[in-house]
Amino acid sequence: MSTVNDTATTTGTRDGAPVFSVDGLWKVFGPKAHRVPGDPELSALDPAALRARTGCTAAVRDVSFDVRKGEVFVVMGLSGSGKSTLVRCLTRLIEPTAGAIAIDGEDVRAMDRSRLRALRRHRAAMVFQHFGLLPHRTVLDNVAYGLEIQGMGRSERRERAAEVVAKVGLEGMEQRRPAQLSGGQRQRVGLARALAVDPEVLLFDEPFSALDPLIRRDMQEEVVRLHREEGRTMVFITHDLQEALKLGDRIALMRDGRVVQLGTPEEIVGSPADDYVRAFVRDVPREQVMTVRTAMRPAASAEEAGRGPAVRPDATVSEAIEAVARAGTSARVLDDGRCLGVVDSDGLLSVVADIGADRRAAGEEPAGGVPARRREPAPQTPTTSEEPV
Amino acid sequence: MATLTAPTRKAFPPGLSASPAVRKLAALALIAAVLVPLAVTRWGGGTWPAALTVDLSEPLGRASDWIIDNRDSHPLFLYFFGHVSNAVVVAVRAVYLALLAVGWAGVTAVAGLVAWRVAGLRLALGTAAAFLACGLLGMWVPTMQTLALMAVAVAASVVVGALLGLAAGLSDRTDRALRPVLDTMQVLPAFAYLLPVVLVFGIGVPAAVLATVVYAAPPMARLTALGLRGADKEVLEAVESLGATARQRLLTARLPLARKELLLGLNQTIMMALSMAVIASVIGAGGLGDRVYQALASVDVGAALAAGIPIVLLAVVLDRVTGAAGARLGQEPAPNARALWAYALVATAAVAVAGRFAGRLEWPDGWVLGIAEPVNRAVDWMTAHLYSGVPVVGGTADWAGRFTTWVLDPLRDGLQWLPWWSVLLAVAALAWLIGTWRTALTAVLAMAAIGVLGVWKPSLDTLSQVLAAVAVTLVAGFATGIAAARSDRFERLLRPVLDVFQTMPQFVYLIPVVALFGVGRAPAVAAAVVYALPAVVRITAQGLRQVDAAALESARSLGATSGQQLRQVQLPLARPALLLAVNQGVVLVLAVVIIGGLVGGGALGYDVVFGLAQGDLATGLVAGAAIVCLGLMLDRVTQPTGRRTKKGA
Repeated sequence: MSTVNDTATTTGTRDGAPVFSVDGLWKVFGPKAHRVPGDPELSALDPAALRARTGCTAAVRDVSFDVRKGEVFVVMGLSGSGKSTLVRCLTRLIEPTAGAIAIDGEDVRAMDRSRLRALRRHRAAMVFQHFGLLPHRTVLDNVAYGLEIQGMGRSERRERAAEVVAKVGLEGMEQRRPAQLSGGQRQRVGLARALAVDPEVLLFDEPFSALDPLIRRDMQEEVVRLHREEGRTMVFITHDLQEALKLGDRIALMRDGRVVQLGTPEEIVGSPADDYVRAFVRDVPREQVMTVRTAMRPAASAEEAGRGPAVRPDATVSEAIEAVARAGTSARVLDDGRCLGVVDSDGLLSVVADIGADRRAAGEEPAGGVPARRREPAPQTPTTSEEPV
Repeated sequence: MATLTAPTRKAFPPGLSASPAVRKLAALALIAAVLVPLAVTRWGGGTWPAALTVDLSEPLGRASDWIIDNRDSHPLFLYFFGHVSNAVVVAVRAVYLALLAVGWAGVTAVAGLVAWRVAGLRLALGTAAAFLACGLLGMWVPTMQTLALMAVAVAASVVVGALLGLAAGLSDRTDRALRPVLDTMQVLPAFAYLLPVVLVFGIGVPAAVLATVVYAAPPMARLTALGLRGADKEVLEAVESLGATARQRLLTARLPLARKELLLGLNQTIMMALSMAVIASVIGAGGLGDRVYQALASVDVGAALAAGIPIVLLAVVLDRVTGAAGARLGQEPAPNARALWAYALVATAAVAVAGRFAGRLEWPDGWVLGIAEPVNRAVDWMTAHLYSGVPVVGGTADWAGRFTTWVLDPLRDGLQWLPWWSVLLAVAALAWLIGTWRTALTAVLAMAAIGVLGVWKPSLDTLSQVLAAVAVTLVAGFATGIAAARSDRFERLLRPVLDVFQTMPQFVYLIPVVALFGVGRAPAVAAAVVYALPAVVRITAQGLRQVDAAALESARSLGATSGQQLRQVQLPLARPALLLAVNQGVVLVLAVVIIGGLVGGGALGYDVVFGLAQGDLATGLVAGAAIVCLGLMLDRVTQPTGRRTKKGA
């Protein structure tokens, strides 16, 4: 668990400029969909009322977020929350109704057909829930398909494809057909096909929902490994909270087309924005998501700051519990040798029992400040508080 | 959210809302109560009122005369139809000469080796044997004639069908426009297509080929469109997400994804083309169909059989080979597929060249097995011993006679005695109960059009034959279907029989019934029953077997006897399949009842044949139009509402 988060944070290079920047995005299906986003009265309606009034369904409603370079950005929500529509809007597989999308600062909605094709061919590749493989082609030719579309020569693309096939662990299956593969293997082919074009961003649309739990875990590890090795930016759609927490650097939680909360896994679990999110994260084992930053308090004395086992500030609470339990004393939170504070069993227990939230709400903010897993003091552009709730 | 959107149902009085059928009937009764007295006082009851008929024979006769007079001079014929006609003649002739030039050994080798490569060794041997059998029966040349005509017709049908299908598959508007037309063409009897082409092209090979194309192209178009539309949405999205252009998407994804449907379309097109190429002998197709036609005309069952067997062999071989090619699609190609094709090609060339040098291009006369004579002797024996006077059971001719006297005659007379408005009313009620008001309206209009055309009586005669045949077909078909659904062993025994029967062209069915029952309406009905039975049996058995296993299991767990399971679970749940079986039964029966005009079935089919034989195209065309209307009416009356959503081919 923690390794996942660690690698994600360390590989990500944050240089400010977002890869994808989405602002006020709307997708409305139905007759005369265009009038809905512009009309303050209509856009304020809830989905049922909107459908009754106009016959339209708003799948994505006024969504804004940035995807930073190198991060795994997870969009999570139940079925029908609009997350799959959202990810398709990013490369205009579904044409958005209103709002702005930019990739590396370039306006996606203003692109003409050839620009858009170039975007799809080189900059963003997608992995699909039901794989979307061509049944009449071999594994190798499926992986090479994106390159073929680009017009690359046969031998060159096959060579490239063979490399990627090896990278996702499918050596020896190059000549099989999709029908001869298991679900997990098929999704590896889907992943390889997306990787083969060496895109800037990988888009995943619930890629592992159709897989068995054990295979799903393997594939999640595979994504983590790929991300660790290549540091590629990923946008990951899922309805599985565990998956979102496991993979995501940041999570946008969607409901009825809106983003109800956007933040790190710790923020989502630690300070849910509303009752919906709270109900959602209720059963999450908090000690595995929350870090010691949440649990720590300032050292009462220099003596306290000088003894006890050391834990990193982004260690999970469960790791700290182990350290505290072994030592029998409070533990120091050390960042590059500097003591940020201490955690004791009371603090850790209050995080596990989720009474810290009440305490924080009452103004007893722990010294760590805003619960943040990130090491950098980055001014987080869209934080929880800015999101429409 | 969902609770909010759930529509609030208005509370109908329970008796009314319970049964939509009652409401429909009530509405219909209301309409009838207003309209019928009006119509009866205005035009009178009884048979179709003369005031409401339009005599088309004169304008049609003039049109046909005009076409005959201007066929050699008018620019439309000179620059369009003339070229079409010439191209067809040249193409058929070229294929025919090529087949003859390759020689019998060469053709057999080509057929066998192609079958080997696409369908495996067993079918290859079967194919070669079938071709040799055609030669042995002394039918080599007619077989080649039929094959040449078919090759041209199939090529044209595939091109036309694929283009139409492509248009319908890619454009929603074209699809909406095309689908009802194709659906309707699918249910019309083959005979209806003959006269319009004859009108334009005259009797001969071009007319035969074009009628075949018109008949055989729709399945290709339908299945192409179906395949293109049925492609896995996510695959297409994935292809699009990789930045494919529209052309790349079509060539690398949509068409390959539709291969199964395309091959099925080819298979169906070939089968329909064969069926039509044989029927088209009545408009000058020549070949095997012509031999059967001539033989039937002189009730020479032996000669008809000698030409009929090659037709059946061709049908079975073509169907199995193309079917096997489709089934092999998913499998991996053999690693050395190309080399094997090359071997096959070389072997074929070697055989053809060898045949050429041996001077054995034509089938040797000494190798012909004359079966006509012994068959005719057997038929004579049957006529002498089985036709009548067999103790207790009576003879086949007795049966036919009794069936005519006791079933067909009363039915026909009854239908013709019915007041015309009551026929329309019955049609409307049936169509509306089974389908929607749209189907009901179409059915009524089609039936009324028959009256307007002035062929009310012969149409009702045809209808009576259809009804009798459908009744027999359904009783026998449902019984056999239920038995097949309940017993695996019976189904295993039945399957090959159904397979063969379903591939045979309609025309061939006439041969055995003429042998057994002579000529008349009863044999036409018998042929129709035999032709339609396999489809009904198959659909029934399939429908019963596909009934939700969980529902059946729960019935069993409650202790239902097998009879109770059948009555209370299987039959109600299989209702859509049973309705489809009725619909198919009706359509197929009509097709053969019409062809029955060739063996004394009379009525509309006879009018068409008569029109062709006498050059009286007007009579034939009116009968053809009535056949179209009758087909439309019968299809709509039996069309379940759900058929549009079920995209079965």
